[in-house]
Amino acid sequence: MTLTGDLKSFSFADILQVLHADKKSGVLIVEWKDMTVAYYIKDGELVLARPVDKVFRIYVDRDFEKLLEKLRLRESSLAETVKKFFLSRLDNREGIFSFTQGFIRYPETVPVFYPAEYLIMESARRLTLEETERKISDELLVFEKAPDYEEKVRKARLTDEEQKVLNLIDGKNTVKDILEKSGLDKLTLYRTLYGLLSIGAIRRKRKKAPKKPSISLDLLAKLIEKIKKL
Amino acid sequence: MSEKKPKKIKIVIAGPFAAGKTEFIRTVSEIEPVTTERKITDPKEKEKKSSTTVAMDFGKIKIDDEHELYLFGTPGQSRFNFMWEILGEGALGVIVLVDSTDPKTFHEARRIINFFQSRYPVPLVVAANKQDLPNAWSPEDVAVALDISEEEGIPVIGISAKNKDDVKKALLLLLELIKTQLTG
Repeated sequence: MTLTGDLKSFSFADILQVLHADKKSGVLIVEWKDMTVAYYIKDGELVLARPVDKVFRIYVDRDFEKLLEKLRLRESSLAETVKKFFLSRLDNREGIFSFTQGFIRYPETVPVFYPAEYLIMESARRLTLEETERKISDELLVFEKAPDYEEKVRKARLTDEEQKVLNLIDGKNTVKDILEKSGLDKLTLYRTLYGLLSIGAIRRKRKKAPKKPSISLDLLAKLIEKIKKL
Repeated sequence: MSEKKPKKIKIVIAGPFAAGKTEFIRTVSEIEPVTTERKITDPKEKEKKSSTTVAMDFGKIKIDDEHELYLFGTPGQSRFNFMWEILGEGALGVIVLVDSTDPKTFHEARRIINFFQSRYPVPLVVAANKQDLPNAWSPEDVAVALDISEEEGIPVIGISAKNKDDVKKALLLLLELIKTQLTG
């Protein structure tokens, strides 16, 4: 399975959200104008970032432990690669990405220095207002905390401002309410909501109960039969 | 004596630009779909297709002598959003089509879902279209990218709008959801 797209329309926050939600393992390749970087993903976590001069080199080294030996990397230096080739490149949106699932053989445990939740929040902090409006499309949206939000926000290492936003998410306050009550600027609020939504700490709350469908059961049964016979 | 007009039942087929809405309707409609397509002038959009729906498409399926199912396709471009409001009124349900090969349209798809959920909270199904293409995202990944949580109760199904069985499956999934809401 391959996931492809470009960073302009699908940010790192979005990509990591998809990879982390399903705990995918594989390799994410981002081709920028100035360099190509392979991001090694194990169970939805970014464990190594490695620049390559040619894409095919990624496919030569399928064994993760042997790759580390070849690159003369100790486990303790993996964090440095993430810092240097992921965190430092979050502002660069000119890249094209593709994720190939499987393919790399990982050992059972690989240390995770930057949890996906942290990286997603960091990515969300760099979004423009226009980009945040892709998810936060309406000031009347209401969010609620997910049941397991505490563990997620602990890993995300929220700033004081982000914590303030989280405290105001109660399934009743609209985005507009939170903006007024928090005293934060719109961009900070929208970035925070985007990040919290992407890490799964919060979710949209449906504003209205579903409307009872305006059709009789008999007619619906006829309709179902008709569609089946088409 | 004048002939009694059949009662219309409406399902809305929504989705971003080039998601395959017109094709979806064409695949199951019993009449040649009525379309309001115009040639595209925007060079970027023209790369994807040469014409687009500007008001609505509609197809029809006769249920019995007294009832007809109308499938209304909304325009995909956001400048025609006002039509969503008009077409959503009185709809029995909504199918939001997503081009599974084009992640840059996923956010727009979510915006469309938000729109219908807030204005017309009727049963809604997401159809991750173009699953026949090699670079299609799986329905599960599309669901995550659209931030669809289990609690929302929005099923996501993978389809190819060219395939009649797939289109029938999407419609039946919506109708089963409607049935659950009626009986639940």
